[in-house]
Amino acid sequence: MRGTWRVAALLPLFLVALATVPFHASGQEAAPKAALPVLTTSAGQSADVNTVNAIMEQAGIKYDYCDVPTAAMLKSGVGLGGAKAKPGFHIESTTDLAKFKAGTPYRTVVFALGASLKGMGASGLTVETEVRRVTDLIQYCKQHKIFIVAVHAGGQSKRGAPGSDNEKMIDAVAPFADYILVAKDGNKDGRFTKIGQDKGIPVSQVDYALGMVGLITRLFE
Amino acid sequence: MSRSGPVKGLLVAVVASVAAVAGAQFHQHRHQRLPIVAGPAVARVASLSEYGEGLARTMADTKVFFLQGAEPGGSALIMAGTHANEIDALLSALIFVENAVVEKGTLIVIPQLNHSASVYTRPGDGCPLFYGIETPWGTKVFRFGDRGASPLDQWPDPDVYVHYPDAQLLSFLDARNTNRSWPGRPDGLLTERVTAAVMRLLAEERVDIALDLHGAETMFPVTNCIVAPERSMRIATMASMTVTAMEGFENHVEPSPKGFRGLSHREIGDHSDTAPFLLEAPFPFLDQPTGPKTRDLLMTGRDPFLLSLAGQQKLFVPYDESGWPIEKRVGQHCSVALEIINQFSRKRADRAIRISEVPRYADLVRNGVGFYFHDPSKADPARVHLD
Repeated sequence: MRGTWRVAALLPLFLVALATVPFHASGQEAAPKAALPVLTTSAGQSADVNTVNAIMEQAGIKYDYCDVPTAAMLKSGVGLGGAKAKPGFHIESTTDLAKFKAGTPYRTVVFALGASLKGMGASGLTVETEVRRVTDLIQYCKQHKIFIVAVHAGGQSKRGAPGSDNEKMIDAVAPFADYILVAKDGNKDGRFTKIGQDKGIPVSQVDYALGMVGLITRLFE
Repeated sequence: MSRSGPVKGLLVAVVASVAAVAGAQFHQHRHQRLPIVAGPAVARVASLSEYGEGLARTMADTKVFFLQGAEPGGSALIMAGTHANEIDALLSALIFVENAVVEKGTLIVIPQLNHSASVYTRPGDGCPLFYGIETPWGTKVFRFGDRGASPLDQWPDPDVYVHYPDAQLLSFLDARNTNRSWPGRPDGLLTERVTAAVMRLLAEERVDIALDLHGAETMFPVTNCIVAPERSMRIATMASMTVTAMEGFENHVEPSPKGFRGLSHREIGDHSDTAPFLLEAPFPFLDQPTGPKTRDLLMTGRDPFLLSLAGQQKLFVPYDESGWPIEKRVGQHCSVALEIINQFSRKRADRAIRISEVPRYADLVRNGVGFYFHDPSKADPARVHLD
């Protein structure tokens, strides 16, 4: 009955094992590399952005986070122009300011894919305005050669019929990403694999979201 | 004497007999005590009224178990019995009390938070008054309680329950619900006095994290999850991801809504330095469209109507012929609670809490729940506490 400590002791080994899971790459063989500083954000305002932030923290990657940044805020770089959190607008900055002073342009943006009407409502957004906001961010990233990572960690509950809210968020980000990370349950129909093949985007699939920790560590090595 | 006299007399006798039998059963239910064997780490057993004088000599007063580690560290609170009909919470809390070895820090356990609800039944629903858990030494009998405090202890209900301090208008039913009465007040309703006493305990004992254990319908989206406010979110997310990946059961995180007042996961976070977490395990017994509310349904979670609904994708959890047996539900609570404590301790090494000898999900599925309860008749009488 030493279960607690068995699990605690095995966790680091488990993370190492997950980090060495064979890469399911489509379109290119080499594992992609991304650079700091990095901004995390949501596409669809689901709670999965908390999963992404927890993964970043577990991977030891310092990041800035904003749930609803605009292209203008993204342009402000590290610190997002000094924006402050308020109801319906969350912001967190853990970026190492000794390495990247405020205003340093972001070199990577990580999008957590998943729609929540409750989350969008809390930020005063609709599906349409959220898709427009995300599309503006994607365009800015493309114009400024900012590396885009699309993360789908929510599994089957964050998928739906074609045209549904979750699929709209996937359509808005995944085909334009430089790297796609997906938990197995969210890719049962091979949707992300197909996007990777069609667009030449590397796709990594993991059994569980926790497996993304090792991949994120490698991505920013 | 009229000809109808004997009939009337017979009817009065029948009604009196039914009332006498039911009254005797209700009396037994209200006064039967649950023996709890204090495990190796239990250093002190207090009454909640020590933190709220308004609870003294009421049916809402309840036992508080302090499990002390050899090394100083942080402090965690596990609360069960907020809703006394959600039995997996109580069984999980007792597994901690009777088995845990605390190596560092302090674990505080309140097995029956709404004690008044535990001595009340669910009128009209045909719920059992008692249920038994098979153990290696016989059957351990528990009272089956209700969601709200007994009207014998808190009455009358208001037309509308006005939450303190936010003045949000809630259903009159929630006046007796200790998961709508946070943060409470020392001179308020009995349920408000319970939560106010816990708030004082959190402050005086410098509790870092508070876990409130529940069960939820399979048709309710907030099930199989941890509900967490902003300050608890990162720990909850890591705990959820870890148990999902390493222990093979699904678990997700739900954000605590800011606009819905009176709930532990909202008010504890807003009114104290403690980070709250509310754990929901799937509990088919609570679902409305089931067959009779039998002890078998309580234990196995097997129901043909839910199975049919699962086929129509109306449930929010996986569901098959095996139902949701009690071993899985209690196992989930134990594993998630341990993992939250573990993740907190990783983030706050200065306030770490280390616990061993508590079974996790796989242990409970393999051995059953009763395997972890100790025989009160064989225990040192000084270590047996009647709650």
